Amino acid sequence: MSAVILAQVLVVEDDPHLAAGVMENLRAEGYEVSVASDGEQALTWLTGHDCALIVLDVMLPGADGLSVCRTLRARGNTTPVLFLTARGDPADRVRGLEAGGDDYLAKPFHLQEFLLRVRVILRRWDWYRNASATSATAMLRFGGNEVDFRAFRARSWSGESQELTEKEAMILKVLAEHAGQIVSREDLLERVWGYDVFPSTRTVDNFILRLRKRFEKDPANPRHFLTVWGVGYRFLSEGEP
Amino acid sequence: MKATRVFQLTALVLVAVSAVQVGWWLFDQHAYTVEKVSAARAAYAEQVAAAQALLDSGTAPERVRQLLPGIVTSAGHASLAPELAAALTSEEHRRYRQYAWEGSFFLLALAACIAVIARALRAEAHVREQQDSFLALVSHQFKTPLASLQLSLETLALRAPSPEAARPLIDRMLADLARMEQMVTQILESARLERGRVDLKPEPLQLSAAVARVIAQLAERERPESVAISTDIAPTLTVVCDPLALDVVVRNVLENAVAAVKSAGGGRIALSAHASAQEIELQVNDSGVGFAPAESARLFQKFSRLRAGAGGYYGTGLGLYIVRRLMELAGGRVSAQSAGPGKGASVRLTWPVAAAQATSPAQPAVGQETRP
Repeated sequence: MSAVILAQVLVVEDDPHLAAGVMENLRAEGYEVSVASDGEQALTWLTGHDCALIVLDVMLPGADGLSVCRTLRARGNTTPVLFLTARGDPADRVRGLEAGGDDYLAKPFHLQEFLLRVRVILRRWDWYRNASATSATAMLRFGGNEVDFRAFRARSWSGESQELTEKEAMILKVLAEHAGQIVSREDLLERVWGYDVFPSTRTVDNFILRLRKRFEKDPANPRHFLTVWGVGYRFLSEGEP
Repeated sequence: MKATRVFQLTALVLVAVSAVQVGWWLFDQHAYTVEKVSAARAAYAEQVAAAQALLDSGTAPERVRQLLPGIVTSAGHASLAPELAAALTSEEHRRYRQYAWEGSFFLLALAACIAVIARALRAEAHVREQQDSFLALVSHQFKTPLASLQLSLETLALRAPSPEAARPLIDRMLADLARMEQMVTQILESARLERGRVDLKPEPLQLSAAVARVIAQLAERERPESVAISTDIAPTLTVVCDPLALDVVVRNVLENAVAAVKSAGGGRIALSAHASAQEIELQVNDSGVGFAPAESARLFQKFSRLRAGAGGYYGTGLGLYIVRRLMELAGGRVSAQSAGPGKGASVRLTWPVAAAQATSPAQPAVGQETRP
């Protein structure tokens, strides 16, 4: 394809055939690819390198993919993670996403779907980075709260400092971009997850509850994160009068 | 399965309720006896008091004994006849003994029932657990080569590579198929061994030839460039064994060694054989990833896959189990040693000399003559 490198991707997979197949296909799409065969190798590589995406197998020898992802997040590394796993039931999916993964693909997977998901994750992160690029868009202030989108940190009205997850930051970003307007749950799913990873839009509601807990003086009577019944949510930076 | 479980649980509840009822019955009987005995004692005490009153009022002792037959008198003093008191006490004790025997018999019988049912339930749970872990393992073990196969095929379809570029993909697909085929074989072999459905036909076999054949097959299929295999087996050594079983045993041990060496980034495997007066031993030494010495027994159990074996993608955890079962059936044994992770490993296969002949491969084996 083109000589332009789209992005650097790290593939962590212990099966040499699968690792080779994934690597070759990502290279053919124009990505630069590094391969690690276990979690420790991956973590070591990541201390010296940056990448735009990690394709992470769950069942790895030694530390498994979930704990690798948790370690990364604990280190403050927000690189998006696409999990590959032989176990694809909903409980495992939720575990992967809770560990800080962005997406979850069960083996065996379709090549085209895999490439599409890689594109979607990278596009979403491009949007987020661009939308937080200027000093005006990197910070959000409302109701005594202060959110730093680039550092994924916030200081709430009570002075408490908060670590945001990527999803929380992205939801906040989407709501802030449309401050005062109604944003539907489906729109939030589309913008933040890319497509329907979760079985229901209930997930969005749970994230809104978490944001309220972090930033509302009285989470039970929100003034910034308002529910519009049957439609979605509306964010008011000034607070409801 | 489900109906049996419901039945067992119901029986367990019924038996437990019965045990409680027996306990209650014992308690109730005991209380009843205590009550009856003390009532009898009170009645006797009243008689004694009445007799004493009569004596005190001057009634002749003979007359008092006539009126109250259970009373004896001596020196103006009334008391209960000793045989009555003894009869009451013995009746009391007889009752208690009866309750103790009957009660403990029933309670023991019920406890035995509970134990039997609980055991059956536990055994069933264990089987179910094993099946679940087997399914989880098999699904993971199959999905990896399947995913690789699908990826390779879809790559061919999507990118339509030149024949030269397609070659490595095709090799990979063939290797994936071989992996899956090997797993299916292992699962079937272990299932057959489990049910004892193996028909072994021992015959004298040249050990060096059997080993050479397995190495040749391995080289053809896997081409392990990073693994150097050497053999030192005298061509005169013969074991009496089922040819297929010998092939399976040697193949499994060797494949394990290759995986261990590959995981360690390459190295050596050395096969050697020795004959003693009692047995013939084949030793497979590798410079692979090794294992913790404490795990050497666990290696030969079903589904045991060691974490240290970094080739996590490899194997069903059945290979060495099959080796152990087949060696046991051949009257031999197998053991593995390692000085620790990263320090290589050594597997010893031993056949008894009763079934081994050191010199003449042409002679029929002892074992064969006894076969029907």
